[in-house]
Amino acid sequence: MTTAPATADITLDALDADPYPVFRRLRAEDPVAWVPAAGRFLVTRHEDVLAVERDQRTFSSVEEGSLMNRAIGPTLLRQDGDAHRRLRAAAEGPVRPRAVKERWLPRFRRNADALVDGLVERGRADLVADFAGPLAAANLGALLGLPAATPADVQSWSQAFIDGCGNYADDPEVWQRCADAVRTVDEAVDDAIPFLREHPDDSVVSSMLHAADPLTDEEIRTNVRIFLGGGVNEPRDAISVAAYGLLTHPDQRVDVLSGRTPWKAVFEEAVRWVAPIGMYPRQVVRDTELAGRRLSAGDRIGVVVSSANRDERVFDDPDAFDVRRPAGPHLAFGGGPHFCLGTWVARASIAGIALPALFGRLPGLELTDPDAVRMAGWVFRGPLALDTTWSS
Amino acid sequence: MPTITFRQPDGAELRVDAPVGTSVMKSAVGADVPGILAECGGQAMCATCHVYVTDDRALPPVSDEEDEMLDCASAPRTGHSRLSCQLVVDEDMDGLTVLVAGEGP
Repeated sequence: MTTAPATADITLDALDADPYPVFRRLRAEDPVAWVPAAGRFLVTRHEDVLAVERDQRTFSSVEEGSLMNRAIGPTLLRQDGDAHRRLRAAAEGPVRPRAVKERWLPRFRRNADALVDGLVERGRADLVADFAGPLAAANLGALLGLPAATPADVQSWSQAFIDGCGNYADDPEVWQRCADAVRTVDEAVDDAIPFLREHPDDSVVSSMLHAADPLTDEEIRTNVRIFLGGGVNEPRDAISVAAYGLLTHPDQRVDVLSGRTPWKAVFEEAVRWVAPIGMYPRQVVRDTELAGRRLSAGDRIGVVVSSANRDERVFDDPDAFDVRRPAGPHLAFGGGPHFCLGTWVARASIAGIALPALFGRLPGLELTDPDAVRMAGWVFRGPLALDTTWSS
Repeated sequence: MPTITFRQPDGAELRVDAPVGTSVMKSAVGADVPGILAECGGQAMCATCHVYVTDDRALPPVSDEEDEMLDCASAPRTGHSRLSCQLVVDEDMDGLTVLVAGEGP
């Protein structure tokens, strides 16, 4: 038995600023570590994360006292088994790869082109606030089937939900903003449902209404919230991290722009390097053992995919951004029944459209001050801003 | 119980007991067969359990969902490509050999 590292010293602020040195230590010394500040056992090695993902009968997505349930209700993300499968099946049609390619890519392309058109002449922008965020929101509003919602609406709803789901400080103002967003989104969904019931289209809400086992209006309202929560942050951060990675690695950028390395590799490396969702919760429902650690029913787990993605047992030089590394089994999309529903939307809209549009149409794109770029978060992580210039 | 052999691109083989009624993917994952990541847990959503089956014994037809997902696999799709999560083990599969596609070249 080695001496346990001092996990009591780990603060949420430190994780927020840069979780990777902490995770590296935990992987080496205490791979299923009780971290008091997080109130959870953090699972940090690739093989143990995989084991948790593959065993939902031991590690449940249903969490007692879940902040997410309090914030946005019992969505499919906090359900298991048949109940989860039913909700997912109803939503899945529009986000499967063929539907994405045939029905959604043209729309995603128009959204990206319109945003870049508006930027070209300006010669400078914050790529997070002026491109990645609005693009993710525009794509998501269309995909969901909420045409009346502006990208600004979608972004503010998403942020309100994300903040609510992470409101560990129990800040009443955060709860209020979240409740307001729930009410506004419910109204938007209620406005959309009667038309989509009569006129089915390629959207997610339409799919939920017309599925073989259709969802009730209440189920649709509830589950749209999780799509809004997840569908902005993650693509925004994936675009931003990929852009940051290429802008700070000129040789790799040359490789990509000359076609030697595909955009697909840039996207996969970006989400491996800095997984947009770094940690998600599970709750132990029967006594078990993981990596030598005894766990009891009721224990809370943090599945740290951002650490699994930098596990030196699986990836060489894991802290380096390297689009030329061999494709590897990163876990940025999670795994098992909850495998990210937006995976194929993200791959197509980011690797296929957003990144080529940015780097292809903004000549001489560069960071104003690479040293000023700050990333934050360990549950969700991405650059806060990317101030750039180009020749206009 | 039927046994299925998983052959790696480098020729290494692993023979695995495969309970009738489970998927070929599950039997591979249970035995830690390299190259069968099976990210999505068997819902034909990720294409990371891609195998080549050249044995001509009857296998179930490729569904629309399996078909679209095989188009997304990292290793090249061939006429022998299958998602191992969509192959349910039966007694007739005893002795089957499948080639793990993995990440491709």
